[in-house]
Amino acid sequence: MNRTDANIGENILERMRADLKRALDKPVEDRRWAMAIDLEKCVGCNACTVSCIAENALPPGVVYRPVTEEVVGEYPHARLRWLPRPCMQCEEPPCVNVCPVSATWRRPDGIVVIDYDACIGCRYCIVSCPYQARTFDFGEEHTDLSAHPGQPYEIHRPAFENGVERQRIPHSDKSPVGNARKCTYCVNRLEAGMLPSCTNTCIGGATYFGDLSDSHALIAELAGSPRVMHLKEELGTSPRTFYLS
Amino acid sequence: MKKPVLALAWLVLAAIGVVGVYQRLTTGHELAAYGSYIPWGLWVASYIYFIGLSAGAFLLSAVVYIGQVKLLKPLGPLALFTALCTLIMALVSIWFDLGHMFRAWEVMLRPNFRSMMAWMVWLYTAYFGLLTVETVLAMVEPTRPWVKLSGPRGAIARALTRIPVPTAQVWVRRLALIGVPLAIAFHGGVGALFGTVGAQPFWHSSLVPILFLTGALVSGAALLLAIYWLVWPKRDEQFKATTRLLSQILLGLLCFDIILEWAEFSIPLWNSNSQEVAVFAAITTGPYWWNFWIVHLLLGTLIPLGLLLTQRKRPAALALAGALIALTFLSVRLNIVIPPLTFPQIQGLQEAYVSPHLQFNYLPSSFEWMIVAFVVALGSAVFAIGTAVLPLLPSTDPGDGDVAKEARHV
Amino acid sequence: MSEQLPTTKKTDPDVASDKPQAGLNRRQFMAASAVTGGVAAVALHQATRSGNALAGTAGASAGTYPLAKPEHVIHSVCLQCHNSCPIKCKVYDGVLAKIDGNPYGPQTMLPHMPMETSPAEAALVDGKLCPKGQAGIQTLYDPYRIKTVLKRAGKRGENKWVSVPFDQAIAELVNGGKLFSSVPGEADRVVPGLKETWKARDASVMKAMSGDAKAVAKGSMSIADFKAAHAAHLDLLIDPDHPDLGTVNNQFCFLAGRIEHGRKEFAKRFVNGGFGSVNWFEHTTVCEQSHHIAYNQSTVPYKGQGKWGKGKHHLKPDSLNSEFIIYFGTSPFEANFGPTNMTERIVEGISNNRMRIVVVDPRAHHTASKAWKWLALRPGTDAAVALAMAKVMMDEGRFDKTFLENANRKAAKADGELCWSTAPWLVRLDDSGQPVAYLRATDVGMEAEDSFVVSRNTELSAFTPEGDSPAEGDLFVQGELNGIKYISALSLYRAEADKHSVSEWCDLAGVDEDDLIEVARELTRHGKAAAVEMYRGVVQHTSGFYNGLAVIMLNVLLGNADWQGGMMKGGGHWHEDGSKHGPFNIVKGMHPGKLAAFGLKVNREGVHFEDTTLFTGQYPAKRPFYPFTGSLYQEVLPSSAMGYPYALKALMLHKGTPVYSVPGGQAMMAYVSDPERLPLFFACDVTVGETSMYCDYIFPDTAIWERWGTPHQSPDVAVTGSKLRQPVVAPFADTCTVFGVEQPINMESIMLAIAEKLSLPGFGKGGFAEGGDFLHGEDWYLRLAANLAKGDKPGQELPQADAEEHRIFLAARGHLPTAVFDEKRWKAAVGEKWWLRVITLLNRGGRFQAADKGWKPPYIAHAYKGQFNCFSEPVAMARNSMSGKHFSGVAHYEPPLDCAGTPVEQGNHELALITNKDILGGHSRTIGNYWTQTYCRPQNHVIVAASDATALGLHDGQEVRVVSRSNPAGVWDLLNGQTKDMVGQVKVSQLIRPGTVGVSWHYGHWANGARDIVIDGTVVPGERRRGKGLCTNAALMLDPVLGDVCLTDPIGGSTSFYDTRVSLVPV
Ligand SMILES: Nc1nc2c(c(=O)[nH]1)N[C@H]1C(S)=C(S)[C@@H](COP(=O)(O)OP(=O)(O)OC[C@H]3O[C@@H](n4cnc5c(=O)[nH]c(N)nc54)[C@H](O)[C@@H]3O)O[C@H]1N2
Ligand SMILES: Nc1nc2c(c(=O)[nH]1)N[C@H]1C(S)=C(S)[C@@H](COP(=O)(O)OP(=O)(O)OC[C@H]3O[C@@H](n4cnc5c(=O)[nH]c(N)nc54)[C@H](O)[C@@H]3O)O[C@H]1N2
Ligand code: SF4
Ligand code: SF4
Ligand code: SF4
Ligand code: SF4
Ligand code: SF4
Ligand SMILES: [Mo]
Repeated sequence: MNRTDANIGENILERMRADLKRALDKPVEDRRWAMAIDLEKCVGCNACTVSCIAENALPPGVVYRPVTEEVVGEYPHARLRWLPRPCMQCEEPPCVNVCPVSATWRRPDGIVVIDYDACIGCRYCIVSCPYQARTFDFGEEHTDLSAHPGQPYEIHRPAFENGVERQRIPHSDKSPVGNARKCTYCVNRLEAGMLPSCTNTCIGGATYFGDLSDSHALIAELAGSPRVMHLKEELGTSPRTFYLS
Repeated sequence: MKKPVLALAWLVLAAIGVVGVYQRLTTGHELAAYGSYIPWGLWVASYIYFIGLSAGAFLLSAVVYIGQVKLLKPLGPLALFTALCTLIMALVSIWFDLGHMFRAWEVMLRPNFRSMMAWMVWLYTAYFGLLTVETVLAMVEPTRPWVKLSGPRGAIARALTRIPVPTAQVWVRRLALIGVPLAIAFHGGVGALFGTVGAQPFWHSSLVPILFLTGALVSGAALLLAIYWLVWPKRDEQFKATTRLLSQILLGLLCFDIILEWAEFSIPLWNSNSQEVAVFAAITTGPYWWNFWIVHLLLGTLIPLGLLLTQRKRPAALALAGALIALTFLSVRLNIVIPPLTFPQIQGLQEAYVSPHLQFNYLPSSFEWMIVAFVVALGSAVFAIGTAVLPLLPSTDPGDGDVAKEARHV
Repeated sequence: MSEQLPTTKKTDPDVASDKPQAGLNRRQFMAASAVTGGVAAVALHQATRSGNALAGTAGASAGTYPLAKPEHVIHSVCLQCHNSCPIKCKVYDGVLAKIDGNPYGPQTMLPHMPMETSPAEAALVDGKLCPKGQAGIQTLYDPYRIKTVLKRAGKRGENKWVSVPFDQAIAELVNGGKLFSSVPGEADRVVPGLKETWKARDASVMKAMSGDAKAVAKGSMSIADFKAAHAAHLDLLIDPDHPDLGTVNNQFCFLAGRIEHGRKEFAKRFVNGGFGSVNWFEHTTVCEQSHHIAYNQSTVPYKGQGKWGKGKHHLKPDSLNSEFIIYFGTSPFEANFGPTNMTERIVEGISNNRMRIVVVDPRAHHTASKAWKWLALRPGTDAAVALAMAKVMMDEGRFDKTFLENANRKAAKADGELCWSTAPWLVRLDDSGQPVAYLRATDVGMEAEDSFVVSRNTELSAFTPEGDSPAEGDLFVQGELNGIKYISALSLYRAEADKHSVSEWCDLAGVDEDDLIEVARELTRHGKAAAVEMYRGVVQHTSGFYNGLAVIMLNVLLGNADWQGGMMKGGGHWHEDGSKHGPFNIVKGMHPGKLAAFGLKVNREGVHFEDTTLFTGQYPAKRPFYPFTGSLYQEVLPSSAMGYPYALKALMLHKGTPVYSVPGGQAMMAYVSDPERLPLFFACDVTVGETSMYCDYIFPDTAIWERWGTPHQSPDVAVTGSKLRQPVVAPFADTCTVFGVEQPINMESIMLAIAEKLSLPGFGKGGFAEGGDFLHGEDWYLRLAANLAKGDKPGQELPQADAEEHRIFLAARGHLPTAVFDEKRWKAAVGEKWWLRVITLLNRGGRFQAADKGWKPPYIAHAYKGQFNCFSEPVAMARNSMSGKHFSGVAHYEPPLDCAGTPVEQGNHELALITNKDILGGHSRTIGNYWTQTYCRPQNHVIVAASDATALGLHDGQEVRVVSRSNPAGVWDLLNGQTKDMVGQVKVSQLIRPGTVGVSWHYGHWANGARDIVIDGTVVPGERRRGKGLCTNAALMLDPVLGDVCLTDPIGGSTSFYDTRVSLVPV
């Protein structure tokens, strides 16, 4: 350690926000959004899981970024290992092909989105995703509605997912109730110049985001790491979300 | 069975069904036991079950109309109509399964033909149309003698007089001809809908569409056999012969199906693709082992096989075999849909985020059964009305005996 | 459905827009953003594929993301756990929509954004935040929150309530009477009102009595003389024969969980200076107090004349610059202070190969998963591990000799050190060889007043710590002069380390010797850039204080304090109390008529037994005295129950749940549920909690996001920072009118209302004397805010908000009702001069020093620059009040002891029970956070080592009951006819030391929405999911001598959490 200098930490969030700004200056089809998750830095805190729920006002059973936990080794050498799993935003997304009504598609910037107003809720995409990154909205709320009125954060506060302001009506079939749902890379935040919520909140600094097509972007730097790993590479889905193991 | 008993049973079934539908319309999918990890459950299984029955029944009717097998000929209209009823049941089942029931028409407006499901919907829409037209045409000739009758029969007959009998006969055959590939296509499509899912190794096999087809034929033939025995009014020699013939067809199909199933299970077992082996293990030793061993293998395969082989002279026993196969085929369909989904795609997902709709085990909820009850009640009602007002069966009513006799060329 | 529980009404947009709003209302805002949102909308329109425009799904408001706008942001401070992270609250249509980290805050962004950043820019950046902080939304909107004052309508604990108007409840509290005549058995019970307890009301009378009472206690005045001198006022005393117990006012007690700065001082003003009671408590002994006391005793400076001053309570590693850190008994990725800020610094270091970490803990927790080594010690053996490491270091000469030889500041300075230690100081031994006190120069005939002695090459010399001449001494010396035996302080420590061989220590602690030696060597390979951190696992033992000392000594051996990468005291805060020349000095001069509360605290903390009139020259005392600690939570209720030193008449519980959170807390239930013994018991709570359910009245409180506060930073942060909690959304609870001003019902308004009724000094019109009126809680906090806006020194004033910032400030508060926000009122509280600067502060949720100001390489910028004591003289000179024996002043290993110092017998229970905090839970009060508590972790488990599970025949998911000597039945008896089983599901694990059972904290509820309660005759149904899992505190050992309270560290005061043995009984 260089004692004439202090380490105050590198603000990767600000670096990535600058990357994001540059990307937004380009036409949408020139952006290649990608996310990297450094498994060495992930501490299994679930901050990302919860921030995603809060950001998108997700109901029970709908989860975009669960974090799996695994015990490796045996006492006294046992350790925990985690794997946060947002949508892989596959370049060859099996979920898109199967949709009978083209309610889900891959945007030119690579984000796979769902039009909740077109989705018929057949759940074919859900069974087709090899990462189980899609969940179905059963129309429930966190509050036990048989005993209490719905709370403001779940029925009054709209979500802004996909840039659409939408209020939830529990027990109804008003979208997004009755739809397949998935991580959008927080596209509404991106367009507003903000990083995805899970990236911002990651207390381990383990989540990276940016435009792969920009060689100056941090994400592009990471994509060249020998530690890069893709989930289920053999399926040919070409995930945009990758891991550093 | 006595009519009042049947009527009472139907009423109970219908009442249960109506409650289910009410719940479905007011609470959506909340009460269903499937979730996001096992997103397809009883209704999807019922759907492929009924649609298989329909395809099977239809293919048999096609044999009648194309092949002109004398013994089977009287069965033509019944088979066609059974196909129609079970198709309606299938469509209603899957319609309730949609997250947005009232957006079903979107598949027509914005189809994605890279999706097997879109193909399937378009194909069964075409099939539905074909089936309806063919059924109508198949009614032309037999209803002619009713033209003078009063009541619904007469009305139907009169409505059909515009179509010349020969034209109808020709077109019934033609439609049957067109229908065969269509039925194969759409039911193979249902199979392909599963078979193309790369994420599910258990489904992802080229054998799956074929299995779906043979399954359809087996279950369809079995159903027809049972229905034939159940509703056919005349218990004469010809009845016995027909039953026997039907049972032989069924036996052949069943054997073929067993071979295919063996292939489907045994090949992956040899080559140790872990997920497929695991799925097979889940089917045979998992919490619902009885569904495979008892329902499918014992009740749905071995007993019927035994009956079919040994009871050739007893139509009732043969019909029982048919009924057993037809009924238990739902368990085959469940075993296709559910077990592969009980394995997390990513290890640890089962504990990562917990919620009633994020489970890796599944037993249909009573609500789901209630919807199936509705579908069955609906299908049987349509069938009952059909048999009452359409010339599906030889009449035993002395009043119109001759007419009916004539009508059916008996 | 009860009236009590929230409806969505208050956030109904129509209701919200009823009143004229200062800022944009939602519709106006939408209109505005339709313009500004144009760019985004265009971008979205481009996002098309084969004719499917995403915009097609979007409708009119395509691309709107209002939460990116500063008008929707209010910065405040979290308190879901006690780490108090700065937060960024996003409000939409009056609803708290999202909680993120405040990008201005050093805990929530690494490095944080400069204060100069505009709110609009900051709005685009969300800081990091742990999951609990984010789930705060569900604490705020918990369906079980109470809205109005609840009054008991059944027996205590029966959970039958009626809602009563605030004014009625205050009047009843103050006046007393037959308040519960409708409750069976209490028809004629007369409740003494607070006005009876508020007996001494004259500041000067109290002052005079206070001085004389002290004299009596010290023995310099006789009781008779005292009685004569105060004959007219003896009725004010609890017991005229023991004037040092103080006045009757002391029979009113305020007991809080961890109440925070801002509120702390507020409540103290009310209890001490207003009500005149000494009994103001918070909860730190249930938390980690012995760690504070160990640090305090390790750092107390010598003040002269045998007196020692105040030390530091807390040091933390500079983890951003460390190369090696050992974590003893703590998981910074899950708990500690706290995951939000600590994690990234450590993880970044590990991932960049800057740093390696080691975890010493019976469990492999999340942090251990990133550790180079995990030493799975036997619970309670931290001192053994630390002493073994110290022994390796000392035997192999691996310590900073240069640093340690410095005996005072001057010597340290000469070596470029900012700190020094008492390692070379000589300590006097008694005839039996026991250390007595530091050797004074006069003891050995040197003519140096009030000086200490070091030995250099057998030559003794006198010095003072702050003296002009540098003093250095040899480290391992002992000798005798004129019959006085002495030894160096470090030798005392070494003697403790030498009591066993390294391998014996390792056997005792159950750790691998090679591992331990390797760790000790690695620790000493990084110079000053290595550190040893500890927390609860080390100190919540009866030996907590000594364990703490033993671990701190490892840092002393490294000489790492104030060095980059070593231990630091943190950047601290600007003084919101105005004591550093703030415009409003609340500590001094702003409390007219302030009462001089005096007397013994009910839990006998902070005083030596021998210095009281209760001491008759005989040991034991009836209950222990705790001269070295404060915030002694667990002793308050049992002491009062026993009436030693006296019984309380009225108890106000605030944000604490002692029966549930304290080890053996069930033993307090009999007392709190007996109105004869505790005549008046009221609480301020957000729900009906595990302890507040035993109250007579429960007043609602404002939740974290509805209230004010000025929490301080933990030393983990190297830069100076002052956080400001402020109302973010309209309060859920009803409002009340106090001193003529409408305000939310909360701790502040309850106190103000009582003050109004009783005319307590320092409240109401002119309550702040020259400083103005004290009518509303915000009158207090805004003044604190003004002090912060000014800073501690001239030139530190924050800039004034410009017009744009002012506009944003108002727009962001448009949804707040006037009971909470009224610009005129707020401005009036701080005055025109400070108002715009206060806005700058409020817009940022506090003020924070620039990120690079934490270091002056190679040092920490905010350095401690003080002394480390290797021998604690004050402790060594004191006696255990139960045994009469002297305490030891040196770090050492000891087994679990009862209050009289006898080893604790536990019967045939063999599994060591430990507990821990889960990253997803914040104490007992996050159970309503369904996001985390129901979906991520629906319950806790009984964690059993795989080898134990095999031996005991236990398997995953099996239900077992936890039983111990103190609780052989394995149940909580709630004394209301209900019980709560201590039964949980087994989880077989590789992550725990065999012989140990782990059960995490914050599940196993019976209140807080877990069970049905009745309000106004209507059942409010509880939820099963809120009662899942188990809390094992009722299994923890009660002190065998006292029988009514848990095992306790006699010095640090910490409750023992990890010294109990249990058995698991399958159910
Ligand atoms: N998630 C979360 N974070 C919090 C809080 C919260 O409620 N939830 N609360 C905050 C508060 S108030 C506090 S005090 C801090 C506490 O912060 P920590 O002290 O880090 O938290 P605990 O989980 O109580 O730590 C106890 C640890 O000691 C271990 N342990 C048990 N016995 C022994 C022993 O004998 N020796 C050693 N070496 N280890 C032992 C346990 O396994 C556990 O890992 O956390 C703060 N942060
Ligand atoms: N088994 C086990 N026990 C433990 C610990 C452990 O690790 N394991 N940790 C210990 C530690 S470190 C600590 S600090 C203590 C904490 O213990 P305490 O400070 O006693 O309790 P808390 O769990 O913080 O919650 C106290 C009560 O405050 C009420 N409350 C919640 N929010 C508010 C509010 O905003 N205002 C008001 N007025 N009331 C509110 C709720 O009713 C809640 O029950 O627990 C200790 N107990
Ligand atoms: S991860 Fe699943 S949902 Fe996401 S793009 Fe790939 S297939 Fe689709
Ligand atoms: S659930 Fe919706 S998005 Fe998924 S395939 Fe069906 S229609 Fe498409
Ligand atoms: S990118 Fe956004 S939507 Fe996707 S997991 Fe992260 S927070 Fe959730
Ligand atoms: S927030 Fe970051 S560290 Fe925490 S679980 Fe998610 S990815 Fe891992
Ligand atoms: S660590 Fe988490 S819960 Fe604790 S104060 Fe910070 S954000 Fe809140
Ligand atoms: Mo604590």
